[in-house]
Amino acid sequence: MTTEGRGRLPEKYDETMFSRDLTVTEIERLDRIAAEAVETLQMNEDAFRSFYDRTARSVWAYLARVTGDRALADDLLQETYYRFLRADRAFDSDAHRRHYLFRIATNLARDRHRAGGAAVHVPISDDQGGHALVDGHDLVSDTQRRTDLARAMSQISTRDRQLLWLAYAQGSSHEEISEMLGLRKGSIKILLFRARRRLAAALRALGGVDR
Amino acid sequence: MTLVECPRERDVLDAVAAARWPHRVDRELSDHVNSCAICRDVVAVATLISADHDDAWREAAIPSSGQAWGRAEMRARQEAIRDASRPIALAQGVAAVSILMLGVVGTWFAWPSVRDDVRSFASSLAPALDSSLAFPLLVALVALAVIAPVALYLVIAED
Repeated sequence: MTTEGRGRLPEKYDETMFSRDLTVTEIERLDRIAAEAVETLQMNEDAFRSFYDRTARSVWAYLARVTGDRALADDLLQETYYRFLRADRAFDSDAHRRHYLFRIATNLARDRHRAGGAAVHVPISDDQGGHALVDGHDLVSDTQRRTDLARAMSQISTRDRQLLWLAYAQGSSHEEISEMLGLRKGSIKILLFRARRRLAAALRALGGVDR
Repeated sequence: MTLVECPRERDVLDAVAAARWPHRVDRELSDHVNSCAICRDVVAVATLISADHDDAWREAAIPSSGQAWGRAEMRARQEAIRDASRPIALAQGVAAVSILMLGVVGTWFAWPSVRDDVRSFASSLAPALDSSLAFPLLVALVALAVIAPVALYLVIAED
């Protein structure tokens, strides 16, 4: 790619994006632009790593259960944090930052659903047997519980799954849910009631809970 | 009017969250749940989702924070470079097409023999190039001259 009088782009950059030789001046300019791009990220490395360690499991669990696809959740997790880092926003608290992160994850899951992405399927943990033994749970009933819930979840809308997960898995308040889903606070109560009723009905139809 | 909320909902949720439901709650709450459709749904849904949350938490095989930061940093750099290199690619495309057109015009005027050859070729096509076709052809040539640099830019940008 390089010729005399021209320079090679530092290895940290992807050279495949260039179909021609670059001059040394151009490389220096691009190098400067790349460094500035990192400086404009929402957080520095230390702050990001701390924030990620506190939130990533929750975000992954949310994405995995809302989309019903663990591989997709892996992809969307990375995308969620990248978009968060690129966001040109100021946050007045860690809670506000966290709510915005979930808002991004919510939008990504919704967009993927609209694009005909993942169909919700029944997630089966690779190591559920081990957990059942360690925890002393009945493996058969554990598996049945998970299967029933996953099937019932697949019968309700993405928004219903989001509402229910935030409310009952994360214990979020109505105000927090409204921020994370971008819905009016006043509408959360009725939306949650309907979502819960639909899921309970689906579970009863599957025999997952007592009638 | 349908009730969407029960005043005991919070107590039920607290019992589920603290893993006190169903064996370590007082009889009064247990009786209430049996008689309240809303709280029955809350129990049915919250117990399963809460347990599923614990499963999902254990299942999560997320990249380390260092890996996540490294990938984000790399991507931010690459996107910035890609955005910055687009104007250069566009300028190169325009320059290439301009040089090509100048070359054609220069050839036309510099070498009369080329001009004569083209004219004789054009006259052989005269039946096809009657007045009804001349205008659309002219429009097509002008459009090509405009579209070519843009197309070239898009090809380079895709790369």
